[in-house]
Amino acid sequence: MVQKLMFEKILVANRGEIAVRIMRSAQELDIKTVAIYEETDKDAFHITQGDEAICVGPGPRKDYLNIEGIIEAAMKTGAQAIHPGYGFLAENPDFSKACTDAGLVFIGPPPEVIRNLGSKVIARRMAEESGIPVIPATQTLSQGKQGDEEALAFADEYGYPTMIKAVSGGGGRGIRQVEDEKRLLAGLKQSRSEALMSFGNDEIYLEKCVQRPRHVEVQILADHHGNVVHLGSRNCSIQRRHQKLIEIAPSGLKKALTAEICAAAVRAARAAEYLSAGTVEFLVEPDGTFYFLEVNTRIQVEHTVTEMVTGIDLVREQLLIALGEPVSFSQDQVVERGYAIELRINAEDPKNNFFASPGVVQVYQAPGGHGVRLDGAVYQGYEIPRYYDSMMVKLTVYGYTWQEAVDRLARALKGFVILGVKTTIPYFQQILQEPDFIQMKFDTSYIDTHPQLVDYLEEEREMEKISRLIAEINAYGYNPYAQ
Amino acid sequence: MEGRITTNMSAEEILGVLKEEDGYYLCNNERDVSQSDFKNRLMPMTTVRVAPYREATGFFSVEVSGGASVHVDLMRKQVNPFERLRIARKAMPKTLLQTVCRGASLFGYRHYPENVNRFIVREFAKYVDVWRVYDFLNHVPNMIPVFEEVQRAGRILMPSICFSTGKEHTDAYYVEKVQEILEVTGPDVIISIKNHSGLGTPRRIRQLVESICTSCPEVILHYHGCNTDGNDIGRMTSAVLAGVKICDVADHGYGAVYGQAPALTLIQTLEDYGTKAIGLDIKALVQASDILRQERRIYEPFENLFRGHDPTVATYKLTGGAAGSTFEQADKGGFLERMPEILEEMGRVQTELGNWWSVTPGSQILWTTAVNNVLYGRYKRPSLDLKNLILGRYGPLPFYDPQEWICEKVLEYQRSDGKKWHQVLAEEGGEVKLQDADLERERSNLEAELDRPVSDEDLALYLLYPFDAASFFKFEALHGKTWLLPPEVWFRQGGFKSGERITFADEYGKPHYIEIISTRREGSNVITSLLVDHTFHTLSVTLEDKGSHTPPG
Repeated sequence: MVQKLMFEKILVANRGEIAVRIMRSAQELDIKTVAIYEETDKDAFHITQGDEAICVGPGPRKDYLNIEGIIEAAMKTGAQAIHPGYGFLAENPDFSKACTDAGLVFIGPPPEVIRNLGSKVIARRMAEESGIPVIPATQTLSQGKQGDEEALAFADEYGYPTMIKAVSGGGGRGIRQVEDEKRLLAGLKQSRSEALMSFGNDEIYLEKCVQRPRHVEVQILADHHGNVVHLGSRNCSIQRRHQKLIEIAPSGLKKALTAEICAAAVRAARAAEYLSAGTVEFLVEPDGTFYFLEVNTRIQVEHTVTEMVTGIDLVREQLLIALGEPVSFSQDQVVERGYAIELRINAEDPKNNFFASPGVVQVYQAPGGHGVRLDGAVYQGYEIPRYYDSMMVKLTVYGYTWQEAVDRLARALKGFVILGVKTTIPYFQQILQEPDFIQMKFDTSYIDTHPQLVDYLEEEREMEKISRLIAEINAYGYNPYAQ
Repeated sequence: MEGRITTNMSAEEILGVLKEEDGYYLCNNERDVSQSDFKNRLMPMTTVRVAPYREATGFFSVEVSGGASVHVDLMRKQVNPFERLRIARKAMPKTLLQTVCRGASLFGYRHYPENVNRFIVREFAKYVDVWRVYDFLNHVPNMIPVFEEVQRAGRILMPSICFSTGKEHTDAYYVEKVQEILEVTGPDVIISIKNHSGLGTPRRIRQLVESICTSCPEVILHYHGCNTDGNDIGRMTSAVLAGVKICDVADHGYGAVYGQAPALTLIQTLEDYGTKAIGLDIKALVQASDILRQERRIYEPFENLFRGHDPTVATYKLTGGAAGSTFEQADKGGFLERMPEILEEMGRVQTELGNWWSVTPGSQILWTTAVNNVLYGRYKRPSLDLKNLILGRYGPLPFYDPQEWICEKVLEYQRSDGKKWHQVLAEEGGEVKLQDADLERERSNLEAELDRPVSDEDLALYLLYPFDAASFFKFEALHGKTWLLPPEVWFRQGGFKSGERITFADEYGKPHYIEIISTRREGSNVITSLLVDHTFHTLSVTLEDKGSHTPPG
């Protein structure tokens, strides 16, 4: 029997739940893992889950974005490869290139693929060349007045509202919808400024606004051997300010339409000479017309729903592909069963515009049982730092039917006991009781058209309340309410 | 048990059984025993602990609500009075629940507008099966709105005639009062003789019952008495032998001093006369007292400061229910040693003011007047309530008016307009019908204060006691259903030791625990670490001045 080549050690260039997620798959392949952390993040859970840990700087945030520092950490710890996770440097082609230049394997696409697909304009062109419909849009707008005129001309042709997008944007950032000429001209300036600050590139373009579409995406795996497979679709229509809140697999579209979209995704990946795990995103209009949106060249937050319905470990596949292995299965072996729903339990206050609610997690109890998966990075006593993403744990449930998945999600949410910080749980509980959601009738306008979802009463557990009296009787030496 | 009355019978069926059965029934007056002997502190969990035995005993009813208990629930026990009724109903599903209320002031101390009274009765009538209704001047019009709402709700109405002694308190007067009530209510009621101070000899009570039964042979009679003088067994025995069908009693393991006399003693006495208690399981009755003897230790600090029976009550006529609270007030006010003087003065004041009935709110008027008379001089500091009484605000005095010198002192007290008492009486005297309240505005006020929707039950409590109800709702929002705690924890003195574990079940029967891990004091902050159902909590309490605290007792 021929011994397969395997990494001995990889460095996970990320934090939080995705770092833990990657470490788990690596450990199953007997790969040692190195966790990195900033000084301001030294209590993070993921540090405890790696075989080794190394501090990459004082932080906050900047050292998780420091390519040189992270490469140095990998070299120092003897890691052979780096997994970037999502966010931070995951879609930075310079990071991919720096890894390769340093003799490290970047567990993800090569730099040129990231660069091409990271450019909305190039990505659109690739899609068009592959026969995939794209949303009518301008080229990258010229700077100054000429750019304004190009934008106005486009808006005249396709009407308002229209979308301003950053060429290097992603993850919902760098997108602005404008309703009229005045707001368009103001928005162009603001978007350029924001794009420069967020992505280091102020290039923007205009895109036709597709109203009330469904956001559907296809999970792709591609290897060095020319194999490109899709793992079905996901529905990520429930978004708040272009940030996904709830993700579902499969998308719930008709079978033929789903097949057409998945085939288009594979064509796009082939055209881009894609490698590793990626996601091709589409907007789907109510009549089934669909448009290419973008390709995310990384593992995504919502990859767990695909894993739940297909049974395939996407991170494991990423690791094997990075080693030069072919994808472990063929397209016809991919079978989706039932439904999976994923949502993010964040330390946020939905009633206060989802503002972050940092603080100490005084009590943390999580649900379990059949069909419930947790990808978390929180523990009792953990102080959620204000510098980073407020996600505490990702809850993914599986159900043989949509209704079963919804019921299970409700049960699982009820099973959480999180004290000390406000969370998004009560907001999700509202959604799970909302008839349109239960009937799977939602598009990207869902959150805006259901403002009543934040009208919930915050319920504290009875025992927590009663214990307050016990503390008072103990403090006073008598019951001050019985006098 | 044959002849037992249960909740699955209609009011009509119950009245039919009461008329037909040969024997008598018992009402367990837990509420009055708690009020008379334990300063109203009986906690719902004690009711729950003894409930299976009371349910098995087969009482006609258990009085768990009414009087001052509704207010004390909110102020001192932090339990919603409606919730307490739900608890009792769940714990004793077959047993009728009883309440007592004042006509125009219901469970409060002042007259409420008629629409308020009707609204509150409708809410309570969703739970309460039997309604004892009285007025301290036996002024029937004050009770009519309650009568109507109780009957409309299909509940059992028990209009009461307050009983006292003295030359004016003749059989003829009381018979006429019963007839006046029956003219208003119709025959389908139970008439209650409310001997709230436990007055009169057994012979006097027998005469009264016989007179009523002779004049109104179809009437069903109930007797409510207190055992302050230790002779209520004698009065109840006479009453039953003369025709009373229901008597209010206590468990022998609990109370039986200022509250009601023990059920078992009455049963044993009447058995000797060949009269049977109907539908009663004696074994369960005894078991209930076995439980209550243990519970009673928790409430010992609230027992009356003057223990033992007091036959001199015949003079001062203080109700059993007021005994505990007046001694408590005297103790807190620092004039406990002057109680004999005050009680003597109460008798005097009672005669001077018209010899009506010393029961709420009249008992408070008499008490305050007697205390002020002793402490500051006779009628030198008359209360506003005394003034209202003399002005006839509560209704006409039944027998005679106070002497002119008293009217002068009371009605001219602190007047700046120089008007003489007879002018004041002429211009301001008489009953005043209160204007109906704007209930929806009251609801909006409470909703604004609590920042949440308000139910009809919440509104009813708010209408009764605006400040105390709102305070309770805020307490409950912050502290939850603390009535679930064992009473010995609720009344704990001296805090908790590290390692102490408090266990109790929630309302669904699920067990919970709170374990004290440690206590740390940092200045005025006390930091308590707790394990609450396996989860660790650290709670900091900043000590504030909550008023002077004297351990009860």
